[in-house]
Amino acid sequence: MIPSTLRVTLIAAVICYFIIILYFLKNRALNLKYTLLWLLAGVVMGILVIFPELLERIIHLFGIQDNMNGLFIIAIGFMLMILMALTSIASRQNMKIRLLVQEIGILDKRIRELEDGKNDRPEKIPGKREDGQKTQQERRHDV
Amino acid sequence: MALWNGLQTVSDTAADVKRKGLPWGDLRSGNCRETGEINDMMEAKVLIIIPAYNESENIESVMRHLLDTAPQYDYLIVNDGSTDDTLGICESAHFSYLDLPINLGIGGAVQAGYVYARKNGYDIAVQMDGDGQHDIAYLENMLRPILDGEADIVIGSRFLEKEGFQSSQSRRIGIGILSLLIRLTTGKRIMDVTSGFRAVNKMFIDIYARDYPTDYPEPEAIVTAIMHRGRVVEIPVRMKAREGGTSSITLRKSVYYMVKVTLAIMIGRLSYGFRRAKR
Repeated sequence: MIPSTLRVTLIAAVICYFIIILYFLKNRALNLKYTLLWLLAGVVMGILVIFPELLERIIHLFGIQDNMNGLFIIAIGFMLMILMALTSIASRQNMKIRLLVQEIGILDKRIRELEDGKNDRPEKIPGKREDGQKTQQERRHDV
Repeated sequence: MALWNGLQTVSDTAADVKRKGLPWGDLRSGNCRETGEINDMMEAKVLIIIPAYNESENIESVMRHLLDTAPQYDYLIVNDGSTDDTLGICESAHFSYLDLPINLGIGGAVQAGYVYARKNGYDIAVQMDGDGQHDIAYLENMLRPILDGEADIVIGSRFLEKEGFQSSQSRRIGIGILSLLIRLTTGKRIMDVTSGFRAVNKMFIDIYARDYPTDYPEPEAIVTAIMHRGRVVEIPVRMKAREGGTSSITLRKSVYYMVKVTLAIMIGRLSYGFRRAKR
C-alpha cells in the first residue's frame, strides 16, 4: 500500500505536471500534436494515484513485488515511449529539412541562371509529358 | 504496356519530337527497359553529379580535367555547405553548381543532384567524387551498358582488375565484409560496394531522387537498387589516391561506419520485404 503522505505528494505532482503542460500549450510553446502522449501519461498517472488499488492489481498482474518499483517501471515505460516518439519526429523533420535544402539549392541555381539572363533549362512541354512519364513509372512499379 | 507506350509517344508534341529525333525516341531512351536501348550516345542527356564538401584544394583540378576530357556532357557540382572556399571557386570559375545552405552529408548532396537531374529531364546521371579519385576517362565505358540497355546502374570498381589505387588493407577487409553482406542479403555479387563512381539510368534517377540513403550511402544504395530490381553492373576502373584534403572516413569513424552500414544494409533489405531481385 502506498502511504497516504506519498499519495498527497504524488497528486500535487500530477497537478503541477498538468499546469506546466497547459501553460506551455497556452503560450504555444508546445504543439498539441506532440503533447498528446504527455497528456495521456498524466491522465494515467492521475488515475493510478487516485485509485491505488488499480495500481496494485496491475503490478501483481505483471509479477512485480514492490508497489514503488511498479510505479517506476510504468513511469520509465512512458518515458521510453515519449522518447521514441520524439526520435521519430526528429527523423521525419530531418527528412523534410533535407528535401527543403535540396530544393533551395536547385532554386538558387535557377535564380542565378535567370539573373544571368541565360536559360540552360531545356524547353519543357507543360503538363503532358511530365505526367505521362510519372504514370508510366508508377505502372512499372505496379507490375 | 507496349500499346500504352505507343499511345504515349504518339501524344508527344512536335517540340518533343524535334528534341528526341523520332517519335519513338521515348521508347528507346531507357524509359521502357524491356525494349529499351539508346543507340545514339548523343541522344541521351547525361548529367555528371559531383558532390563537394570542403574540396577547395581539389575541385579546380578535377573540373579542369573533366572539362578537358568530357566537355560534351553536362555536369553539376553540389556544394554541400562547405566551410572553406569551395563555393567561391565555383563562383569565380563560373562552374555549374548547386549551393546547399546546410551541410546534408554526401547522401543528401548526391540526392540533390538526382532531384536536379529528374527535374531537368536527364536520361543518365553519373556521380563521381570531387576529390580527384575518380577518372572521368572511364565515363564512356560506364555509360555503354546503360546505353545498350544492359544495365540500370553501373558501378566503377577498382577491384575487378586490381589496378590503380587499391585503398589500405584494413579498408579492403571492411569493403569485403560489406560486399559479402550484400551478397548474402540480396544474392548479388558486387566487389566495390563503397565506390562512389556510378552511372544510373532514368528509372533510377527517379528512384534515387525519392529514396536515397543518407550518411555513408554507397553500399545501402546498392541494396535499394537491387530491391527495385535494378540490374547492377560493375565496370573496372582505375582510381587514384585522393589529391588533397581529407577523406570523410577517418580511422576513428571506421568502426561507426561498419556498424552503421551493416545495420543499414540489413534494415534496407528487410524494409523491402521479401521482394526478390528477379535477375
